[in-house]
Amino acid sequence: MKTLIQPRDERTQPARIVPGYPQTPLRNPREPLVQRAPTLSELTGPLEVAGRVKLLGGDIAGHGATQAIGQLMHLRVRVLDEDGAPVGGTVVEIWQANAAGRYIHPNDDDHAPPDPNFYGAARLVTDASGAFELRTVKPGAYPVPTRDGWWRPPHIHFSIFGKVWLSRLVTQMYFPGEPLNGQDRILNAVPDAAARERLVARYVPPVAEPHNALVFEHQIVLRGRAATSVQP
Amino acid sequence: MMIPTGEATIGPFFPPRYVDEGANDLTVFEGRKARGDVIEIHGRVVQEDGAPLDNLIVEIWQADAQGVFRHPADPRHAQADPGFFGWGRAATDKEGRYSFRTIRPGAPAGRQPHVNFMVMFSGLLRILKTTMFFEEGMDPVLLAVPASRRSLLIAKSNYEFNIRLRGESETPFFDD
Repeated sequence: MKTLIQPRDERTQPARIVPGYPQTPLRNPREPLVQRAPTLSELTGPLEVAGRVKLLGGDIAGHGATQAIGQLMHLRVRVLDEDGAPVGGTVVEIWQANAAGRYIHPNDDDHAPPDPNFYGAARLVTDASGAFELRTVKPGAYPVPTRDGWWRPPHIHFSIFGKVWLSRLVTQMYFPGEPLNGQDRILNAVPDAAARERLVARYVPPVAEPHNALVFEHQIVLRGRAATSVQP
Repeated sequence: MMIPTGEATIGPFFPPRYVDEGANDLTVFEGRKARGDVIEIHGRVVQEDGAPLDNLIVEIWQADAQGVFRHPADPRHAQADPGFFGWGRAATDKEGRYSFRTIRPGAPAGRQPHVNFMVMFSGLLRILKTTMFFEEGMDPVLLAVPASRRSLLIAKSNYEFNIRLRGESETPFFDD
């Protein structure tokens, strides 16, 4: 079997230097990135990462007296590869702000209060169909310290390993219908409108269950997969 | 054919729990000690003006002491060292310093010994990938780098590997 890795379509990926995001011109390489033909080293990668990191589970909203403040939501995600094949058994790491837009992090400022019942970090493994569910509260928007009117819209961060070093993906998911989506400097750093749309979750109209939570669905596509066997 | 999801990394709000205790020590896995020579790889990560970057995430991926990757795509993976996972993660401190305790990798087929690096940080909307080598040579990935910049990918003595994201002596990064 061949290992399937397509070159990236640049229009579907964010610009490296973003106007109005002052750190980007200091931290992104000036020299062109070096093209290399992938070798075994890049076409392998850490598998079964759950054996090396501590899983935190996908239920981060808390329950009963220690439930986090905010709009309870269930997020159903499927992780696929470029061929549409499910990426099962891979570790997904998730972090987000609380309902007020505050992270549990020493570098976040005091624009909004922390919630003692919300840490905002999940770490779980996809099932055989590439699916996972996150039970959380919807994150709030927050002002960026540039203090020039840029607010981040509600969003959730994902870090996913996939099957090979080249499939490692760190990305963000946004919510449908948020007015701040249209002016966010990070979401709009992706040139292609359809690619931006794919970063926005789908709202699932409420049904009887879950009776106390909104439901969103999302799909994340990693780059190609490793061959199941390579002929020497 | 489906189109891969766009990248976006920002922090500095990676939760402190993102880096587990011991995630930068690759010399033990599932209670077994890795075979081979234990080494330390360490360095500083700075931006264009030389300022150190605090709480930047560094990950590495490498072969074991025999040059075997713990992955089924490696034809030799049945011989992979059961005490070596091959992946680790570290966060930089306020001086921009990171370190890993690992095994000096062997040479994978067709390659010289090397360690793959990835960094993610606020102000980087996309992760950056590079590769550290132990010496100059005829490695195809090293030879893909312009000759004048290859020395930037060679670790200094005792495996010091500094990463400059932009500017003079900028680390070569790969278009992965």
